[in-house]
Amino acid sequence: MHKQKLIKLIKRILITFLSIALLSLIVFYISRLAPGDPLVSYFGERAQKLTAEERSLALSKLGLDQPIAVQYIRWLQHALQGDFGISYKYKIPVTELISDRIGNTLILGGIGFILIFFGALILGFFCAWHEDKLTDRVICTFGTVLGCIPEFWLSLIFILIFAVTLRVLPSSGAYSIGGGDIADRIRHLIMPLSVVVIDHLWYYSYMVRNKLVSEFRADYVLCARAKGLSKAQIITRHCLRNIMPSYLSIMAVAVPHIIGGTYIVESVFAYPGLGTLIYESARYKDYNLLMLLCIMTGAAVIVCGELAKLINERIDPRLRKSMRFTEDEEVDEL
Amino acid sequence: MAEAPLDDILKIEELSVSFYSPMGEIEAVRNVSLRVHRGEILAIVGESGCGKSVLCKSIMKMLPDIAGIRSGRIIAEGGDITSFSEKEMRKLRGSFFSMVFQNPMTVMDPTYSVGAQIAEAVRVHDKRMTKAAAFDEAIRLMSLTGIEHADKRAKMYPGELSGGMRQRAVIAMALAARPKLIFADEPTTALDERIRGEILALFKDIRDKLGTSIVLVSHDLNAVRRVADRVCVMYAGKIIETGSTEEIFVCPGHPYTRALLKAMPDNTDRSEPLYDIPGMPPMLIAPPKGDAFAPRNIHALKIDFIKEAPMFRMSDTHYAASWELADEETRSREPELFMEAATDNDRGESFKLSFEAKSKSEKSIENDIILAVRDLSCTYMADRHTAVRAIDALSFEVKRGEIFGIVGESGSGKSTLAKCIMNILKPDSGSIIYKDVDILDKKAFTANKKMLNTSRQLIFQDSDSALDPRMKIADIIAEPMRIARITPECGSVREAAIRIMEAVGLDQSYADKYPSDMSGGQRQRAAIARALSMKPELIIADEALASLDVSVQAQIVNLFKKLQKEYGFTLLFISHDKSMVRYLCDRAAVLDHGRLTEIVNGESFA
Repeated sequence: MHKQKLIKLIKRILITFLSIALLSLIVFYISRLAPGDPLVSYFGERAQKLTAEERSLALSKLGLDQPIAVQYIRWLQHALQGDFGISYKYKIPVTELISDRIGNTLILGGIGFILIFFGALILGFFCAWHEDKLTDRVICTFGTVLGCIPEFWLSLIFILIFAVTLRVLPSSGAYSIGGGDIADRIRHLIMPLSVVVIDHLWYYSYMVRNKLVSEFRADYVLCARAKGLSKAQIITRHCLRNIMPSYLSIMAVAVPHIIGGTYIVESVFAYPGLGTLIYESARYKDYNLLMLLCIMTGAAVIVCGELAKLINERIDPRLRKSMRFTEDEEVDEL
Repeated sequence: MAEAPLDDILKIEELSVSFYSPMGEIEAVRNVSLRVHRGEILAIVGESGCGKSVLCKSIMKMLPDIAGIRSGRIIAEGGDITSFSEKEMRKLRGSFFSMVFQNPMTVMDPTYSVGAQIAEAVRVHDKRMTKAAAFDEAIRLMSLTGIEHADKRAKMYPGELSGGMRQRAVIAMALAARPKLIFADEPTTALDERIRGEILALFKDIRDKLGTSIVLVSHDLNAVRRVADRVCVMYAGKIIETGSTEEIFVCPGHPYTRALLKAMPDNTDRSEPLYDIPGMPPMLIAPPKGDAFAPRNIHALKIDFIKEAPMFRMSDTHYAASWELADEETRSREPELFMEAATDNDRGESFKLSFEAKSKSEKSIENDIILAVRDLSCTYMADRHTAVRAIDALSFEVKRGEIFGIVGESGSGKSTLAKCIMNILKPDSGSIIYKDVDILDKKAFTANKKMLNTSRQLIFQDSDSALDPRMKIADIIAEPMRIARITPECGSVREAAIRIMEAVGLDQSYADKYPSDMSGGQRQRAAIARALSMKPELIIADEALASLDVSVQAQIVNLFKKLQKEYGFTLLFISHDKSMVRYLCDRAAVLDHGRLTEIVNGESFA
């Protein structure tokens, strides 16, 4: 039994690495095939004024004159040793560049994700509990409207209200100039975080609500009532557990979406996170930076997906493979 | 009083329950009075929609919010529980009464092990019990309900148990807090015939061992006869007859009860049409005056339409609400023939004509073989490592124009066979020759594709899910013609659809309705009409009756018989119901675990 589990685990890890390798290959090829001049990110404005000789020299120095396959193998060799190259734009190793900012992103996106994850559960639960009553209807309408407000507009309004008019919160940055204590960081975090949460929360809450509501109609709920369980017991013990697999699967896909997808919020609040880097690297052909960011995002998707799968299989036995028996086989098993 | 009062565990007095729908108030249960004695098995029988389930659920107060008790009293062990709050009811649920449901596949939470769910029911009413002790109790309950290896099965999930096992587990769950009364709502309907018997025996066993009273709700009269002590017959929300099982089955008092008994195929000779109760149960939005069954009763008396009959005493235990039982003065003399609904026979004349020539020509070549199955084997993968042999070296032949039955329990490969014949599933080996075309041969199939697609039609078990809920009936029936680009003789496709509807006994007015507006029987008629629209030569009816009530089954079977005579198609009738196959089919193949056991003639089939 243990041996089987180990083999399964190894299989999964192998698949994960293979997927990431495949992802890197695809991103590498497509980014290089897409039109655009990587030298622009290296030389900036100057790139247009370069002579043909200077150009080819620069390209060969950066290794960009080789066939793509060769470039990829070279990149892969370096990457496996932990060297992901330098950013053309910032002229420092991409790992360094990213590690400077990843903390900020993880704080903003991570806290945002946790708040959304539990907030959506609670709000969806609340609405489902009051299904079709006034509270539910009001929240549903309000939530839908709120979810449609564009992030940048909400951010600007927030800045206008809290930073300009009331002057209670800082309008930009992750901390005050010259560093700051934790309280200072939190004060800087409130507005971007609120925007991230407000913009995503309802989407997931509504899903939880609808899943729960349809779960209430399931036959096993009636049976649980006949056993003498209360509504609260039925929902928390049975219904929530039954909707968890689909919720977790969706949330797993949402991880990179929420954590990495804070570009607009980061730009409006001048928050030094990865969102802006992702955007810039793709736009200015900062290949090395783009590769690492893509691989990180991809790895996050894959790892979160695998994690969700693992938890889901624990919750719902039907998702485990080899779980289907007919009557006869079942007897053999015993 | 000489007679000692019987010990009643539950007493219902003039209970009325209504649903408040947007269309108006639906009086689902009307003025029902009922007693359940300690330790008895009381059966409540009637067609679906007559209020049996609603009655049980309203006693346990488990109806949806739109339903409410309008009047009446519910007395449990001497105490009035009619006005109990949800919290008070919760204490009674499970410990005083509990419920066993129709479909064991869906009433258990798939994410908990069976034992854990039974243990949960144990602990609801005994909070001091530890989880481990409750689990042990669950195992004990499971062995009590006849589950072998209960200790191992308790750790399994509902999805890993077979239907019968699951129903036993559900019963164990219902027994968890030692209730005095169990409502069993159609507990055997979703199960195989063989397992049905076992579950019924189990109920009897529980009553004998634990002294639990059981209220068995069912439309399956055979089941009721086997286990019930007393029977209540419900119609249109009312109890119209009550008596001991013997009394009800031997000398039924109410015409509805007689009609129900008559509709059972076991009581009918093959040469006669199966008795079907004409018409439909009334809508309960505006319940009819007088005897609700009168419009469907050929021998209804005048007074039946005017005044409701009180319960007439037939014996100490046997009462029926029918004016027939009143003395001569009360009832008016002459019986009124008041039937419009028994109509199937006159309809569809025009449509029939276009087929006449065809069926005649087929008569002349009567003994020729339309379908030959030879050495057919089919396996499917239960999971990646286990292959299950659904059909094993099956051979038989079906003659043109006969009704050929295929009988067997579920899992015997009936449906797989149907799918193979319809080219939905590809068998591993063997051949199927349909009208001299080897349909498993790719070339031959492609060459005859159009003929094959139009001349074979399939009717499914569950007409509810087989019809697109967003299409109108006329469009559903016309769709095959549109797909095959057939221009019917009468001009428009819609006209043809309406003619077919008449032929199957569907009123024109349904043409623009949706499947959800129709009853199960009507939907099945629509499904048959859809199959007929292609003027097929072979119709495969895969458990086409399984989801229908007894009286509706009879209607559909008679319809099959009638249509087959008119149109001369060959009918492959797949069913687990032996008595129905014996009644309907000329010959039948008996399947067991994918193997052909025998081929029998209709009459000689035991």
